[in-house]
Amino acid sequence: MTDTTLRTVVRRETHSPRTGAMLTVVILLLLALVYAGIEIVLALTGQSPLLIAPGPALQATVDAPDALAPAALYVIGAGLVIVGVIVLVLALKPGRLSRHEMTWGERAVVVDNGVVASALAQHLSTESGIARDDIVVGVAHRSVDITVRPPLGVPVDQAQLRRIVEQEIAGYELVPAVRTHLSVRRPEDKEAR
Amino acid sequence: MNATRRGLNRFILFIVSVALIATGGLLLATALLPGGRDAWTSVVVGFQGWLVGIGRESAGWGAVAAIAVLAIVLIVLAAAAVRGRREAPLQSAGSESTAGRITITDGFASQAMQNALGERDEILSARITSGEVDKESVLHVAVTPRQNTSPRQVVEYVDTLVGNLATLTGRELRTYISVHSGLRAKLARDNTRLN
Repeated sequence: MTDTTLRTVVRRETHSPRTGAMLTVVILLLLALVYAGIEIVLALTGQSPLLIAPGPALQATVDAPDALAPAALYVIGAGLVIVGVIVLVLALKPGRLSRHEMTWGERAVVVDNGVVASALAQHLSTESGIARDDIVVGVAHRSVDITVRPPLGVPVDQAQLRRIVEQEIAGYELVPAVRTHLSVRRPEDKEAR
Repeated sequence: MNATRRGLNRFILFIVSVALIATGGLLLATALLPGGRDAWTSVVVGFQGWLVGIGRESAGWGAVAAIAVLAIVLIVLAAAAVRGRREAPLQSAGSESTAGRITITDGFASQAMQNALGERDEILSARITSGEVDKESVLHVAVTPRQNTSPRQVVEYVDTLVGNLATLTGRELRTYISVHSGLRAKLARDNTRLN
């Protein structure tokens, strides 16, 4: 796909816009601003404050290191830093959604990982003869984890299963490409734990 | 497709995070470092001078006006983020043929595609919209297939429909196809387990 507009669409549809986090922050800021505004207006009109007037509030802030116990300062300071780091991570991390781009000529195609997982499981079941319920597939950003739990006494060729899965995944032409991790677990493995 | 200003969202988050980390760091420094208390006092006293001015009536109303402006800016930003989806109607299109000029209206084209998709057994729901990205219109075909359906098979069919539409209208559309899983797909599956 060479079209820059469609490239933008794919980028947007595979990454979180962080709207929820931004709205949460903005609403909290708005509440703080509205409260500050009300307190200032009350102070200017000579009425009693809702909680604390602006002057005494700032004085209390100046005196906080003396007024509060060191433990309280640690807790408040560490709390603010932790929340700040979480917000910073939200601001800087790419925020990938659980979707993959599928290469499809000049069309932009984005597929939910859940669709890929269920299709892969069904394909493997059809091709191998293993019941669909005995196959569990998880699709992550760069890997596909497949767990097969064949019934007792049913022989399973792991290399053959891997080949089936890899051929199917290759057909999807996912971007970014995914690695396949396949494990076969016999019922006795589960009981042995 | 949406046109949310992602850079702006992240910029706001970045500014707030820096303010939180700076305030928290200053509080920790006040408790931990010998000179921390002086740093706290010098920073907060600067604000105090400003707030004391609020005691004077003109400065106080100025502060209220500044808060109101800031609040309006925040509301505008929040509204822009919520209203990020930018719909753009499909243009009516015409093409010349031996039979004459064919004009396909937007509603007809999207309805026809939606109906064609709805007839497929493996497709649970389909939605055709057109949006604007970078001032270019893009056709969006969102499909929710039944669970265990190959996405390749779904996309192949949608691609054929879009190709047919392009042939009919004489106009190649920028197309974005999204294939979704979801509660409906999970509930509609036969008797298989979700992975």
